[in-house]
Amino acid sequence: MSSSPEAAPSPEFLAEETRRYHHFITLALWLAVVTGAEIVLIFVPVSMPVVLTVLSLMSAGKFFAVILWFMHLIYDKRLLFWIFVAALALAFATFTALLALFSVDVLDPKWIS
Amino acid sequence: MSETAAAHDAPTSTGIDHKKLIMWLFLASDCMFFGTLISTHLLYRKLYPSGFTDAEGHQRFIQNLFNIELTSFSTFILLMSSFLMALAVSAMHKGEIKSFRRNVLGVIFFGLIFLGCQVFEFTHFYHQGLTIQNSVLGSTFYVLTGTHGTHVAIGVLWLILMYFYSFTGKLGGHMGALDVEVAGLYWHFVDIVWIIIFTAVYLVEYLGPNGFWGTGLPAVTK
Repeated sequence: MSSSPEAAPSPEFLAEETRRYHHFITLALWLAVVTGAEIVLIFVPVSMPVVLTVLSLMSAGKFFAVILWFMHLIYDKRLLFWIFVAALALAFATFTALLALFSVDVLDPKWIS
Repeated sequence: MSETAAAHDAPTSTGIDHKKLIMWLFLASDCMFFGTLISTHLLYRKLYPSGFTDAEGHQRFIQNLFNIELTSFSTFILLMSSFLMALAVSAMHKGEIKSFRRNVLGVIFFGLIFLGCQVFEFTHFYHQGLTIQNSVLGSTFYVLTGTHGTHVAIGVLWLILMYFYSFTGKLGGHMGALDVEVAGLYWHFVDIVWIIIFTAVYLVEYLGPNGFWGTGLPAVTK
């Protein structure tokens, strides 16, 4: 953490930061509403696959909203986005592989001996 | 990439500040780490859906223990702390140190509330008979949420140090804003991990007439 004498931010930069500030407020309200909707949704008597799908989409929406705006990925270099997406893909692939592996409920006896 | 970002490219081969790049690489690895923990919890919930046996030998169900109101409250608190962190980073970029301090104090306060809720939850679960040793459910649940809680605690400590460091006058300029931005990235990451945990660990337990894992809901099992 070093200090250095630097020029004051330019008016364009300040205008951009102010614009982001309004985005952050909108996003925070949106996140609160979606979280409330998630909690209500689990008590709605609708079929489980439908609720699960909607819940997953809502969570994914919140997840990507935070990484894109709060974490500035939408404003930053694309490389950072792809680094994180690559890690996400690996995590999801691990989950899928484990799910497939542990879904083998009945094993062929010839493989057990 | 926006024009604003292009105008502030760092003098590195990637155009990205090294501190920020390293933090993103760390977060990417942490993402895989949490992905494994969440996968393990879900898989073992599938394989051992019956919950756990308490000290008196009674079969218990996790839905009986969960307090969805408390968890929803702590989720909301963490989301709002993320919002305040974004405002703190924005304030530092504009050179508004007092605004930065106000927002960071808010983040620290919300982080401590979240940790308090987690300590309360763990204590309650422990007294109800769910320990890290007596069931697979206890092991995966405590390891997953405990690891997340540890991340939150590290984030709170980091922000407290940064808050006091700002009074030395050394937290200024581009490098100061970058330091705050890197701390902010870590804090937001903790938030997005909780977004997934909240849905995958807590909310799914309430789905369907017999619970997502087919073990019954609290009203049935009490």
